[in-house]
Amino acid sequence: MKLHPLSVPVRIVSRGVGLAWAFIIGGIAFAGGDPVLTSGVVVVAVLVFLAVTAYEVAYYRRFDYELTDESLDIYSGVFSRREREIPLRRVQNVDVTRSFVARLLGIAEVDVETAGGGGTEANLRFVGRADADHLQEAIRERRATLDRHESAGDVEETEGEREAVVGGETLFELSDRDLLLYGALSFDPRLASGILAFAPLAAPFVGDRVQLSGPGLAFVVALAVIGILALWVASAAARIIQFYGFRLRRVGDDLRYERGLLQRRDGTIPLSKLQTVAVEENLLMRRYGFASLAVETAGYGPGSAPSGGSEAAVPLAPREAVFSLARTLEDFHDFDLDRPPERARKRYVRRYLLVGLTVLAAGFAVDRFLTGVPWYVVAPLLVLAWPAARRAHGNRGFDLGPDHAVAQVGFWKRRTRVVPYHRIQTLIRRQTVFQRRWNLTSVVFDTAGSRSISAGDAVAIDRDDDVADELVDTAQDSVFDAIYRSE
Amino acid sequence: MERLDSRVRLIWLLRSLVGSLVAGAVVTFAVGAVDRVAVSPVVAGGGVFLVLLAIGVLHVFLRYRAWRFEVRDDTLYIERGVLVNVRTVVPYVRVQHVDARRGPIERLLGLGSVVVFTAGSRGADVSIPGLVAQRADDVQETLRGLAIESEPESGDAGDAV
Repeated sequence: MKLHPLSVPVRIVSRGVGLAWAFIIGGIAFAGGDPVLTSGVVVVAVLVFLAVTAYEVAYYRRFDYELTDESLDIYSGVFSRREREIPLRRVQNVDVTRSFVARLLGIAEVDVETAGGGGTEANLRFVGRADADHLQEAIRERRATLDRHESAGDVEETEGEREAVVGGETLFELSDRDLLLYGALSFDPRLASGILAFAPLAAPFVGDRVQLSGPGLAFVVALAVIGILALWVASAAARIIQFYGFRLRRVGDDLRYERGLLQRRDGTIPLSKLQTVAVEENLLMRRYGFASLAVETAGYGPGSAPSGGSEAAVPLAPREAVFSLARTLEDFHDFDLDRPPERARKRYVRRYLLVGLTVLAAGFAVDRFLTGVPWYVVAPLLVLAWPAARRAHGNRGFDLGPDHAVAQVGFWKRRTRVVPYHRIQTLIRRQTVFQRRWNLTSVVFDTAGSRSISAGDAVAIDRDDDVADELVDTAQDSVFDAIYRSE
Repeated sequence: MERLDSRVRLIWLLRSLVGSLVAGAVVTFAVGAVDRVAVSPVVAGGGVFLVLLAIGVLHVFLRYRAWRFEVRDDTLYIERGVLVNVRTVVPYVRVQHVDARRGPIERLLGLGSVVVFTAGSRGADVSIPGLVAQRADDVQETLRGLAIESEPESGDAGDAV
């Protein structure tokens, strides 16, 4: 099969935009108004454009893909040829992305992920819309057939089953009201860090004009409040555009999600490849009894992980609904989390106090040697160490169930991760020198999930040394149980 | 519990020496380039070099003392780390492949290292440095055998991902 013919102009334009910028900026600066040089730049630009066009046409002509019963074969490469064969049983995710332009042209980009290597294993830019949907569906169907042959001999799919599979069963749909709510409740901290980066630049500018007392101070505070509000609205808008029309379906053994206002994304998450399930609640969500659900497969490589939590199975729903949905995906027990020992809380109090005192000392040093700042106003904040420690302590816990380990962490954003024993890769006990003083150890349950890099592993933080040892032994036995049970 | 070969300390010492030299040289040039610092560049660079080297040497010996591993019946157990003590348990059934590596200096000293790869995201590669070459080959061979042996006969459960 060939790519869609329209992929040639689209690829030329998308590649050309970057080059065009370089030429316009660089070329004009280089020519400096000289007519000979300017025409030279134009000639080079035309040559480059022709080269890009020739390359893309050749790419299109030499690109071929084929879906067989057992694999997806891709033949590609203009100068060096590559034949790639992806066994369907190893496919983790199949994503269909349609950008705004692609939607107008009726084409789509297909990405196929396996657990191997970094990056996307197969990237088809672009195929026709119907072809993309067909490919996604065909891969699912054939993989399911292969799995069935593997596990239960030759059992033919009955007509009824096939019927049920085609449309799938809608598990969750984000209503417009919930979408607005989600935008409002999910504040992206990455935006705030951007503002913090600008603060040192803006501070002297404002400081020169405004006296830091009386109305001037009020002005600065008002500015900060407006800034935060604007940030919040921007973050909400970004989320709303990203998750517009979110729908989660279960098709056979796959989860299918689609979302997006301008760029539509349609992805599959095979349930048989599920690594962990995580329920996440940030401060605002917890206050109003909402939560979001994230599932994790091994497909996305570290660098290529789609940002903004596209692997989120449910962006926002009432807490109970999220848990019951999570249970349909991974049938875990009714857990009762065991908190770290009481002395861990004392440790947190000291830690936060130490941080506060360091800030205080730094403030004092600045006041003494550089410029006068009211460093002592931070002092009352030290009292916050106690509630903060209680909060950190109260949000950390773990529980070992019959088939799953559950671990909870998070100060602002609480993450409850459920790890099936048969997905655990290694067990790691970590003890820093600070923990050693208190006889505390953390236990990490490492899985092949790709979110672990960005969102952290399932980890039982600050357990008693003996409890940690016991935990590892029990978990290890459970891992072997889960793996060899079928024999 | 098995310890590393004591010659591995030489490799680590060499590494920390090179690191300290580079840092010392950078500081020397940096101080030389800035006029406002009243310290002689050589003194500053030399000081940084000596301090780093002292920390490095101490770290090497503590690190050697902390390192131990054991090839158990169905798991590989590794304990290491000075500031952060890390104890890793790798079930053989999770091992994807095993490498035996020998760098130029290791070869000179007759040493080798074994690297065990799993599909995990954090402990994806676990390496045991500083084994006598013969022992490194042994360990690799043993681990390879155990990894194949531990594969469940049927079902998909043994499939790592």
